[in-house]
Parts: sequence; structure tokens; C-alpha cells
Amino acid sequence: MSLFDSTQLALESALRGASMRQELLTNNLANANTPGYQRQDLDFHSALRAAQASGQDPTTIAFQATADPARTVRADGSGLDPDQEAATLAKNTLEYQALVQVMGARTTIMQIAMGVR
Amino acid sequence: MGLFDAIDVAGSGLTAERLRMDVTAENLANAQTTRAAGGGAYHRKQVVLQQAGGPAFSNVLSGALGGVRAVDAARGVEVGAIVEDASATRRVYDPGHPDADPQGYVEMPNVNPVTEMVDLIGASRSYEANVTAMQSAKQMFTKTLELLR
Repeated sequence: MSLFDSTQLALESALRGASMRQELLTNNLANANTPGYQRQDLDFHSALRAAQASGQDPTTIAFQATADPARTVRADGSGLDPDQEAATLAKNTLEYQALVQVMGARTTIMQIAMGVR
Repeated sequence: MGLFDAIDVAGSGLTAERLRMDVTAENLANAQTTRAAGGGAYHRKQVVLQQAGGPAFSNVLSGALGGVRAVDAARGVEVGAIVEDASATRRVYDPGHPDADPQGYVEMPNVNPVTEMVDLIGASRSYEANVTAMQSAKQMFTKTLELLR
């Protein structure tokens, strides 16, 4: 067994996905007033789940952003709802922080096992 | 891609919304201006926002070769152009005005203060949304740095 088990690797991958998603959501919010803009999102949960089901190394997942062209909610052709975007952004921030917290806890456990702490 | 990019993207939103607010304020300030720089009454200006950065070459190529066209990287927003509103100016009867025509009508700007106020509030709210996004990214980065402690 290696020092970093599959949970640790999955955590790393989830962190990568969450930070990519954060950037996309920020970009959506920055383009709130751009006519014809289609929102972009990243479903890193599904990608991670699929990788775990197929036994793929989670660190090798190439996350792909997807555009959301079907939804048009405004007269200027933009499919963006700023309120919803801000809520998703807040959710993603919390999720990222939760992931970091878990990662920190696991690091502490390992440090205790190694007698560093 | 990284967390700092998210901060840059939010920053581009701040720049764009601030300029939008500047232009709206200019419109409001010139609501009664009958002598614009180009002659005649002032025409209200509008900011056209566009997605920053063109499509990535690799994405266009894979799309042209029949593959899946990937979504381009997020680079934020930028001001594409500042255009003049071509709608008709107002004609106000004011024979005492120095710029009145022989019939006594003055050509006034096509600025509607109500529209400008709504735009101003819109730009202000969008600015706040971008500030919130920036703070979120900053919080995330701070949390990650705490891992190193």
C-alpha cells in the first residue's frame, strides 16, 4: 500500500475540479451583462464517480467544462441567472473548503502516525 | 488554470462594470448638453460587453476536424466597444435658448434619466456580485494555504 491511498487521490482530484469550477462560475458572473453569453459549468462529481466506478486513477481525470446552450432566460439571448450563479458559487466555495478541511485532518492523522506531532 | 485565475476573471468583471458605471454617469451628466463634441445634441453612450479572449486554436481545430469542440478557457469579460445610441433626440420648445432653431425648438439629448438610473443600479449590483466572487476565491486560497501550517 502506498502512502497516499485512493481516498487521498480522490480528494486531490475533487479539489482540482472544485477550483476549476470556481473559475468557470466566476467567469459566468463576470459575463452577467454580456449579450448572448452561455453559462459554463463543470460536473466534476460525475467525472469522479465515473472514474471510481471504472477503476481509473482519479488524478488522471481530464475535467471538461460544458456550455449550457439550451437555456435562454433573457431577452438578450443570455442564459444566465445572476442569483442562481451566486448561489452556486457560494455552494462551490463551501464544498472546496470542506474538501480542504478533510484533507487537513488526514494530513494531521498521518503526521501523528509518523510522530511528527 | 488556478485559483488566481478566478481572481483575475472577477477583476475583469470589476473593470467592465466600473466602466459601465462611468459611461452611465457621463450620460446622466450630459442629460441637458446641447453642444456635444461632434456638434449637435449629446447622444447617450452604451457599453457593449463581450467575453474576453478569442477561442483557443486547439479547440477550433478539434471542432473543424469533426471532433468534440471543447469549451474555451474562462478569461473573463471585456468591453468590446462604446457605441452611441442612434435613437432620435428630443425636441423641446424653448425660444430663449441660445441653440434654438428659427422655430424656437432646441434639440436635446436622447438621455432618459430613468433608464440611466436603472443601468447605474444594474452596474452597481453586478460590481458587487464580482466582489463577492473575488472574496470567495480569496477565502478558498486562504484555506488551502492553511494546509501548510
